[in-house]
Amino acid sequence: MLVSQIDMITPSSLSECLNQLSKAGRKHKLIAGGTDAAVRMKEGKWRPEIWINIKNLKELRYIEEREDFIHIGPLTTHTDMIQSQLLQRKADVLVEAAREVGATQMQNMGTIGGNIGTASPAGDTLPALYVLGAMLELTSLTNKRTLPIEEFFTGPGRTVLKENEMITKILIKPQKPNGLGIFQKLGPRKAQSISIVNVAISLTMDNDRKCAEGKIAFGSVAPTIIRARKCESMLTLGQLNEELIQNIAKIAWKEVMPISDGRATATYRRDMASALLERGLYRLIRRWENQ
Amino acid sequence: MKSIQFIVNGKERTVVCPPAKTLLDVLREDLGLTASKECCGKGECGSCSVLINKEVVCSCLVLAGQAQNQVITTCEGVGLSPNLDVIQESFIAEGATQCGYCTPGIIVSAKAFLDEVDTIPSAEEIKTALGGNLCRCTGYTKIIKAVQTAASKKISEPETAR
Repeated sequence: MLVSQIDMITPSSLSECLNQLSKAGRKHKLIAGGTDAAVRMKEGKWRPEIWINIKNLKELRYIEEREDFIHIGPLTTHTDMIQSQLLQRKADVLVEAAREVGATQMQNMGTIGGNIGTASPAGDTLPALYVLGAMLELTSLTNKRTLPIEEFFTGPGRTVLKENEMITKILIKPQKPNGLGIFQKLGPRKAQSISIVNVAISLTMDNDRKCAEGKIAFGSVAPTIIRARKCESMLTLGQLNEELIQNIAKIAWKEVMPISDGRATATYRRDMASALLERGLYRLIRRWENQ
Repeated sequence: MKSIQFIVNGKERTVVCPPAKTLLDVLREDLGLTASKECCGKGECGSCSVLINKEVVCSCLVLAGQAQNQVITTCEGVGLSPNLDVIQESFIAEGATQCGYCTPGIIVSAKAFLDEVDTIPSAEEIKTALGGNLCRCTGYTKIIKAVQTAASKKISEPETAR
């Protein structure tokens, strides 16, 4: 299939889009911001017969707090998230992660749904979504299901999303007033780079430098994002002082399972995962105490 | 082939092309607007930057069919000699261009950035705003200086007075 032979449909509503997705016997694919999809088309990896263009489907672009969750439309761009006062107050870790995605152009184009759907182990918003307990709503013409983000990814670029389904909503738990988060990334340069390792941390603080609950998720150190559950269980052992933080960082070195590739060796990734976690925890504690 | 309508640099335009052709190729080949350049072709260098509804994007990753009914501004739309924009004048005054390949993209990114600020931005803020635009010959010192010069000109002589 040549690029010049690919057709495009632009549905004007979600129901029309789901209707198009349900049509069997043809190869179609969704395209939103295009920051991954267009590149893959050029590389020859993705050559659908039809692009289903959802870039301007406005009903899927929103950030709202309703009941116990923050609802995010999948076509919300990274710029939308960076500028959202709601997310700045109640999901700071996601704002920090969105800021690390590419540079201005990519942040204006790329969407959160696309970042999830692409399922890169290095996707920057993904660890942030893990520590915010994200749930994904997947919809087809006849069915709707909601599942935790942990159950969505099955490997690099692979997800449980069916051919006729699309991500229609992202639900996250807002941070409590005593909650705070941080996103740390190591890339080859500051702007516009793919993560070598990244980590998102979210803590709920108690009195006296103690942490009541904490979540840690690493990117780029396994086939999918991973929660560092051993490290998490250590967060609540006592005061988050220098000694405890250093011990947690040591466990992180063992807990991540990276591979060597063109970007870095496995050992370097372990070292950096440990260092980023240690630095992130120090910075969080400093932020908490300066609040 | 599809017929696609959009507004480019203030004019309504219609092109007939494959819908998966990139907006960059449409601008350059179908409309003869060659300021926007292809370099990396995957959103890393910013040479193809254009504004869509006042937001800077990489036109090499926007497909023509996605640009339907959008308002697009290229570097030609920011300003053309003799009616240059203050940003372009500042790039000339500061000598902020060498081979010139990246310049139209940087002008477009700077335009989007300066439209949103009303103070003279710091070097750090400019580096963040232009982080998606690579220049391989001048280094960035003069580019940053030119953006600051443009900002100060904009503040001291607002557009209505110019």
